[in-house]
Amino acid sequence: MTVYLCGIGAIVLGGVLAVFAGETAKAKILSLCTGIGSILVIYPAIAVLAGSEAPEFLMQMSEPFGTVRLMMDRLSAFFAIVIAFMSFLGTLYAVGYMQHYCNRGKDLGSHFLFFSILIASMLLTVTVQHGLAFLIVWEIMSLSSFFLVTFEQEKEEVCKAGLNYLISMHIGAVFLTAGFIVLANASGSFDFSAFRTVINSGTLSVFAVFLLFFMGFGMKAGFVPLHTWLPQAHPAAPSHISGIMSGIMIKTGIYGILRIVSMLDSPSPKLGFFVLIVSLLSGLLGVACAIAQHNLKKLLAYHSVENIGIIGMGIGVGMLGLSYKNSAMAVLGFSGALLHVLNHSIFKSLLFYAAGMVYQKTHTMEIEKLGGLAKSMRFTAIAFLIGAAAISGLPPLNGFISEFFIYWGMFKGLKGGIFPAVVLVISISGLAFVGAMALLCFTKAFGVVFQGSPRSRYPEESFETGLFFKIPMIAECAMIVLIGLFPAQVFSLICTVTSQFADISGYPMTEALTVLNSLSKGFLLFLLTAVLVWMLRSRLRSRKGVSHCKTWDCGYQAGNVRMQYTASSYADPFVRIIRPVLDYQEHFRLPVRHTADNKKDFLLFPEAAGFESHTKDKMESCVIEPVISLLSRFLHLFSWIQSGNIRVYILYGLIFLAAITVWTMGVQR
Amino acid sequence: MMLKAANLVMLLIGPFVLVGVINRTKSFWAGRKGPPLFQFFFDIRRLLQKGEVVSHTASFVFELAPVISFASVILAGLLVPMMQGLSVFSFEGDFLLFSYILAVGRFFSIISAMDTGSSFGGMGASREALFSCLVEPAFFMMLGALGILAGGLSFQDMVSLVHQNGRMILLISLLCLIILFVMLLTEGCRVPVDDPNTHLELTMIHEVMVLDNSGPGFALMQCGAAIKMFVITSLMANLLIPDTFGIYGFTAAFVLLLAITAFAVGTIESFMARLRMNHVPQFILLMGSMSFVLLSVIALFFCRSV
Repeated sequence: MTVYLCGIGAIVLGGVLAVFAGETAKAKILSLCTGIGSILVIYPAIAVLAGSEAPEFLMQMSEPFGTVRLMMDRLSAFFAIVIAFMSFLGTLYAVGYMQHYCNRGKDLGSHFLFFSILIASMLLTVTVQHGLAFLIVWEIMSLSSFFLVTFEQEKEEVCKAGLNYLISMHIGAVFLTAGFIVLANASGSFDFSAFRTVINSGTLSVFAVFLLFFMGFGMKAGFVPLHTWLPQAHPAAPSHISGIMSGIMIKTGIYGILRIVSMLDSPSPKLGFFVLIVSLLSGLLGVACAIAQHNLKKLLAYHSVENIGIIGMGIGVGMLGLSYKNSAMAVLGFSGALLHVLNHSIFKSLLFYAAGMVYQKTHTMEIEKLGGLAKSMRFTAIAFLIGAAAISGLPPLNGFISEFFIYWGMFKGLKGGIFPAVVLVISISGLAFVGAMALLCFTKAFGVVFQGSPRSRYPEESFETGLFFKIPMIAECAMIVLIGLFPAQVFSLICTVTSQFADISGYPMTEALTVLNSLSKGFLLFLLTAVLVWMLRSRLRSRKGVSHCKTWDCGYQAGNVRMQYTASSYADPFVRIIRPVLDYQEHFRLPVRHTADNKKDFLLFPEAAGFESHTKDKMESCVIEPVISLLSRFLHLFSWIQSGNIRVYILYGLIFLAAITVWTMGVQR
Repeated sequence: MMLKAANLVMLLIGPFVLVGVINRTKSFWAGRKGPPLFQFFFDIRRLLQKGEVVSHTASFVFELAPVISFASVILAGLLVPMMQGLSVFSFEGDFLLFSYILAVGRFFSIISAMDTGSSFGGMGASREALFSCLVEPAFFMMLGALGILAGGLSFQDMVSLVHQNGRMILLISLLCLIILFVMLLTEGCRVPVDDPNTHLELTMIHEVMVLDNSGPGFALMQCGAAIKMFVITSLMANLLIPDTFGIYGFTAAFVLLLAITAFAVGTIESFMARLRMNHVPQFILLMGSMSFVLLSVIALFFCRSV
């Protein structure tokens, strides 16, 4: 555990050193230190997964903390490895990405300091086993990421998104605080092991406590309807930060939920169904909103909601497996969820990094203005394609493997009672719908951004695709393919983590491994067929040769780039169908002129006309906004307290102190 | 082993027969003499001997897509049960791979259609993506419902256990038949979802997606589409024909069902026009509602028997 803490120290040291280093060296120093730190973090974590005793670290602190315990069990070790490794790749990417800002003379010291603090606080979050200390690291994590999101604070929308993020995180923290207070009150201690006994003792309503934590952690993770900060914060942040936040930071929310689940001895089916259904809704709504988005990063942000939904479905299936004593379901559900945590962190950061490269080249994220990048940015296009195929759950890539586990777990649960079976069949069908919609969304994103011809003129400035850009992306592509091709090996690794929730001895492991090996065989067969067909076709083609020509446009020889199918038209048939779920608005500007008496005057020669469509998040406009307006109306009643006069505030402080003194004396008496 | 070899032979011949019978049916209803049964095979052979014309706008995806689409339907063909409910390659959860490998082919054919930058390609791609998006959940619901009934977790087990569950088999098979037939029409791009014979780019789906393909690449795309149709027909046949028929009986029934399906597709194509594009989703939702019916029938069946 000391090694682990040294690793965290090294990362923070990197951030501090970066403040004092020269402009171009800052990112490299942070990256180097994070690299060393990650090795120090990953080394003990691997030891834990390999089967050694979970290391502990005790800190004696004064009241109200008591003994703060840091412990790395298998769940923590898994998350620590994911966080450390993906953060390291993120810092590498930042070296290339921030070059551009260096040249513009922006001060980057604070950015890198907060970056290192974010990584360190995430690593602490997953190991702290003490309620109060957990809340403090949690808060540090939220605050440091707030500063990272507002990197370009001179832009108004960035500030707005940042504030939205900050407030959302604090609402989440309120729920967590409440949850910890309830548990601490009942157990008389802040330690997680004491929480465990008190949750299972039956004195508390498990559902209510779970709900508090689910709300708190779900806010970070982005479950519907608590996801509204995500699509605002991700487009505002620089790409490496979006990658880190979407790839790993929101997973700390999943970690929290899993931590609570691991405390439950046998969750009631009610909890499992609750998690399953909320997650299914998150998946469906997340991807439905993503399809309607035309900002590449916003689209990716909504896909985070979708993927959190898929992870949540895995957790739900696992919990149902625990409550119905169906070990296959439990093992497969939790394994699917954990593997999807890893997978999503890989392909989502890959996609954000690719989007970042697109942004650096074109200075826009509006996909309607992009196009034809596959030829000028071949590397990025291939990386984005791999990421897109993986996130759509296509074999033989990693996204398919984790979804396969979740599906499989659900199919395993069909034999236990008709009610759960029907719910599971509907979830299976829902997950299939999510996958099909993701395919629609990513064919849209890839097709419009990278294919066809450019829809606008891109800035002519030179764009460096340095090695630092490429290394993290190549590493991630390799991981996507490797996890996809060798699921059996990955499954046995993941099972060591799963064993913390479910009794894996009740599940015939060899059976699963046979299936996964056949899966690999199927993939190899597929690849082999593809290679053979490719070779055959090349032979056939070489006989007559390949000639190049214009795209067929019905013989009309003056086609231009504006005639290409746009993202809106691609998504339109689907958006029309799901319009009730979305807040879809159309604005026409007809080619008419209003005469003096406000009558419409249809002209012989039409004036300029226009059409715009906007899609907003219905959850935001129909659930979040009414609640907020209600709250603000209520809170307005107390606005007289805020006089704006500093002397009055000092008076408030005095009154508060006096009240506290009197109260404590009263309690002592 | 023999049966698996027979499967491979079927996979090679079946698609051509299917397309041939469909075309012959259409010419029968139109009062024409019609093309030879294996005309599709001759077409493919001719295409394979040609060179390719590639658009200036196309990127590497365009080169890759026909190969991947073709390989994906081949793997799907190996996974699906054919002769006597036996598939070449079977394991628990193989239907998940089946469905997702078809999605791989679809993914690539969609982005290759977008690759040429033609507005027609985008149009077809958008429709294909939407329609398959509606098919997928219904298909999975059917699989789930059969999973409740059978408990087996591979295509092979599912098919044989469905038949062992004697009661209500007729109703269940009939529902599956409707579901899979709609899926066949949608995935195979036939009337009323899509008209393979239309000459107007604006109204096409599959044809417009392969508008810029030519030569061997086009042959792979067309062949892949035919194999996909055959694969779905084969699944339909296995859910319908009990495995007590014996090898010869089964083969005869299989071929007969293949012919009947092709005849039905051809007949629909002769007597019906393609639906308006915005009505097609409603047609596909028929499949979804049938899946719900199937699920409730099976749930009811279980409630009774428990």
